[in-house]
Amino acid sequence: MPYLSRIRINHLRPASQRLLANPHVTHGAVVGGLAEITGTERPLWRWDTDHAQRPHLTVCTPSKPDWSHITEQYGWPDADGDHVLVRDYSPLLERLATGQEYAFRVTANPVQNIPPSQGDIAEHRGEKKIRSRRAGHRTAGHQWRWFLSRAEGWGFEVPPAPLPPTEREGDDPAAAVDLRITHRQRLAFDKKGKSVVLTIASFHGRLRITDHDRFTHHLTNGFGPAKAYGCGLLTLAPVTGNGC
Amino acid sequence: MSPETSPQSVLLLRLAGPMQSWGDRSSFNRRETRPEPTKSGLVGLLAAALGRPRGADLTDLAGLRCGVRVDQPGTVLRDYHTASDYRGVPLLQAGVSAKGVQKPTSPAKPTHVTHRFYLQDAVFVASLAGDPEFVASLADAVRRPAFPLALGRRSCTPTQPLVLDVRPGALEAELTSEPWHAARHARQVYRRRQGGTVAEVDLPATFDDEDGTDVVNDLPLSFNVRDRRYSTRRVRHTWLTVPTGETTVGGAAAASSHDPFALLGW
Repeated sequence: MPYLSRIRINHLRPASQRLLANPHVTHGAVVGGLAEITGTERPLWRWDTDHAQRPHLTVCTPSKPDWSHITEQYGWPDADGDHVLVRDYSPLLERLATGQEYAFRVTANPVQNIPPSQGDIAEHRGEKKIRSRRAGHRTAGHQWRWFLSRAEGWGFEVPPAPLPPTEREGDDPAAAVDLRITHRQRLAFDKKGKSVVLTIASFHGRLRITDHDRFTHHLTNGFGPAKAYGCGLLTLAPVTGNGC
Repeated sequence: MSPETSPQSVLLLRLAGPMQSWGDRSSFNRRETRPEPTKSGLVGLLAAALGRPRGADLTDLAGLRCGVRVDQPGTVLRDYHTASDYRGVPLLQAGVSAKGVQKPTSPAKPTHVTHRFYLQDAVFVASLAGDPEFVASLADAVRRPAFPLALGRRSCTPTQPLVLDVRPGALEAELTSEPWHAARHARQVYRRRQGGTVAEVDLPATFDDEDGTDVVNDLPLSFNVRDRRYSTRRVRHTWLTVPTGETTVGGAAAASSHDPFALLGW
């Protein structure tokens, strides 16, 4: 039974700065909140903020989590207010149906596979097969197209954006669908002495479910790669008159 | 001329062009520009449209109440400019000889370096309120000007449309109801900053006001070439909330509030 959680982080604590800076540390903290991980499901998490300098961690876990260690180390253990919010995710998953529209947000790691070059093949002479190399998409246009090309396989489509009249004749292809990249970043951090580099992008927009089973599967299992490093958690919100 | 006593109408002008330059109290080799149009600039533009000669009486034009709204502030352009005598003789200095004739510079200085400042890529909406018949005649004159019109300097030509409208009403109300006139790229920058289309935008504006807090030295008394005179006027600086002319429809970028828990019933 999946759960969705939100944990507020006190960004002024030195430990929190390490947490915010290194996705590897964050992933350890998130996994530490689960008593047992059943099956192949894994926790998905994402950094969010509703206000500058007020970060919170949104987490989707396959079982009921306990975030008291995060509150103790990175939050306000005894302060007033809802510092941790844990809700059962299954009522929403059961309510989803093909054709429904929602506003969404997702932070993802758009990548491409680069087939081995002649040089790579020459270097690995004697080996039977050389894997292609995975590299992050680094421009907004590539990231945007990566997302749209994957959407069908994920079980949804991005409907056309209702445009203001002044923009309707515009030649901007990005305005044609209701999808925006709000944040792009190159993340570089240490994982046990090894360096990991990711290019991530945050997508905001509106979606229409086309394949219920695929969509709900990805909702709890993640979209795209780098799921351990804050990518792949897609959250839904009601479509208001103002978009999402 | 108070708005309570007599019916007034308002002339709305859109001041936009590649360059504008609205100088006040600039002199000699450094010609600066105000960040917004001056009243002397507006009066000069109208006087040119009416075909008035340099020495003509300006009291009716200077008596109009004026308000200026900054739709797109633009950026300042500095023009490095040199001037010299075409005969190659040294330029004159400020001091005069015993005969009262300006002396040449010593050591001889053949070239002046001057700085001229311009506003580039700026859009303003200026409005002038006054007697309805007079304001209507001004609008006709600006549509069919007697002399070429310019935005503060003769080199700064305006783009069309210059006259937006002539409306009965109060100056502040008409300037507030007039939609935003920023260019497309400025709107895109604003939209990106706001995270989506918005219905209203706050713009700085300046109005003639006898109880105003600021004094500017740009009320023209005479444009006579040999006898240019200016007086001061009091102004009030304020902000107007102006419609952008864009409907707030569901752009994905208008996503400042995304609450994933809204669907989970809490």
